Amino acid sequence: MKGLTGMAMRRSRLTQPFISILKYVALVSVSCVMLLPFYWMIAASLMTTAEIIRTPPPLLPAEPQWRNYVDVVYAVNIGRAYLNSIIVSALTVLGILFTSSLSGFAFAKYHFPLKNVLFTIILASMMIPFFVILIPVFYIVKQLGWLNNYAGLILPGVVSAYGVFMLRQFIHGIPDELLDAARIDGASEFRIYWQLIIPLSGPALATLGVFSLVGVWNSFLWPLLVVQDSTFNTVPLALNNLRTYGAEERSLNLRMAGTVLSVIPSVVVFVWLQRFFRRGIALTGLKG
Amino acid sequence: MASPQDPVFTASSVKLASSASPRRHRRRIDPKVWWAYAFISPVLIFLLVFSVVPIFFSFWVSLHSWNLITPIPEMPFVGVENYTRILLYDDVFRRALVNTFVFAFWGVTFNLVLGLAGALLLNSRIRWRPLWSTFFFLPIVTAPLALGMMWTALLNKNFGLVNALLGSIGIPPQPFLSSPEQALGCIIFMAIYQYVGYYVVVFLAGLQGIPQDYYDAAAVDGANARQSFWYVTLPLLRPVMLFLVVTNTIGALQVFDLVFAATTGGAETSGGGPANSTMVVVLHMYNTAFKFFRMGRASAMAMVLFVVIFVITLVQLWLLRHRE
Repeated sequence: MKGLTGMAMRRSRLTQPFISILKYVALVSVSCVMLLPFYWMIAASLMTTAEIIRTPPPLLPAEPQWRNYVDVVYAVNIGRAYLNSIIVSALTVLGILFTSSLSGFAFAKYHFPLKNVLFTIILASMMIPFFVILIPVFYIVKQLGWLNNYAGLILPGVVSAYGVFMLRQFIHGIPDELLDAARIDGASEFRIYWQLIIPLSGPALATLGVFSLVGVWNSFLWPLLVVQDSTFNTVPLALNNLRTYGAEERSLNLRMAGTVLSVIPSVVVFVWLQRFFRRGIALTGLKG
Repeated sequence: MASPQDPVFTASSVKLASSASPRRHRRRIDPKVWWAYAFISPVLIFLLVFSVVPIFFSFWVSLHSWNLITPIPEMPFVGVENYTRILLYDDVFRRALVNTFVFAFWGVTFNLVLGLAGALLLNSRIRWRPLWSTFFFLPIVTAPLALGMMWTALLNKNFGLVNALLGSIGIPPQPFLSSPEQALGCIIFMAIYQYVGYYVVVFLAGLQGIPQDYYDAAAVDGANARQSFWYVTLPLLRPVMLFLVVTNTIGALQVFDLVFAATTGGAETSGGGPANSTMVVVLHMYNTAFKFFRMGRASAMAMVLFVVIFVITLVQLWLLRHRE
């Protein structure tokens, strides 16, 4: 940095502030574009239908129509959808964390016949796009009687090949001496997993957890197939029902209110835990 | 003569026993091996049931005519008829293939450029970096369905905010999603908006992984900022770029949610409109399978797209590796 900036300073003491201003102009304009949909979603969610279809549209509602949110709750029972989404997301993420850490541990710290073959199969299964297996998985779930209930929403998603891979990489870095010490103290292998590996894998588990949480919360195509009546609607499905709730010009404010409600949890989780999320993305980027 | 009580004999036999027997013992029934199998069994069982078996099943179904209700042993075998039908006679499928390519190509290309620019900007000396990056990354965590709805409202031809903003700088109102010429472009734009932050994070991690020494060495050799970008930054970002191009092309070829959110539910219930100008493979496959219950044909579409993704990935790996 020293060499380069030193040179740049010498070369252009005059252009430096100009470039700096340019940078901020770029940052501000990009941020405006990035925030525009979020701004309009919130503004429109508080407007009357008359305000929404006015041309040019008002930038803010004359008076915030909070009752739009009440109407949404009644229109598509978004409360129930929230409950379903929370149950499905929580159990799926716990399942992913449990199965991934368990087999990540086995692949990192044990020697057993067929280990490399099995690990290669798991890695290869990461390459299978979901749409290719959509129909068979739907059929299997149907035959198991899991359509239109929590089992169908949760169980096909509780294993993540990517999670196995990530946890294996992480647990590989835990020293073997710790495991041997626990064995000398008489700990069983499962106890080593539960009381040693799990606590030491905290950062990796957090990253994988936040990552899969956002994915499960936002997933749409699979719930769209599994859920057949609104009792088991997840939030994206409720949102989808809202899309067909009425003509666009008469229900846009409700649609936007529903969108606000569906987006809030992801945004909160993201702002709160964004370092884990970013680390997850960076990890997929660099290990791939 | 040596007897069993002879200390030499005893010692050597003990030594023999201890050197051979426990090792064979461990190889046969080390309980840790069984623990390991127990630990990996949930993942193996689930992957077997929900990935490995389905992929073969999918191929099997693509050779049959099936409506999801006929018992599996009774599905009529039709050979490659599903493939010839979708590739030769199904205009919507061919249109969907082209649209999917166009979508993936432009989405990934734009995002590579914009993502790199964004990462360079965030990596330079700026104030309030966490604030800017939060704005950049916000769309990644938002459901594609919700984002599709937000942009559909903004791009409404009659009362959308975008047309109002364009009007204020003298551009006439555009039809956007209701025009066959502009609709796919709008969807590509939404995808760029949604995923650009992902590229920024990965590029940023790549940039931060480049040792400062390289830039110092380039500066000592008299390289200016532009030269050190072309000859240091870009070549060293090649692995990151390879990763981004390959994984995002794979992802983009599977686009569904955004198109579904932006084009279904109106006059055309099957989506992909207007006039199939935004029809993509997964949406067409979804309609074929779950609206018309033609599982064989839909599975053939899935296999075709799978092969396409596979080939494109190989070509990309070859192209991007080859130039090194």
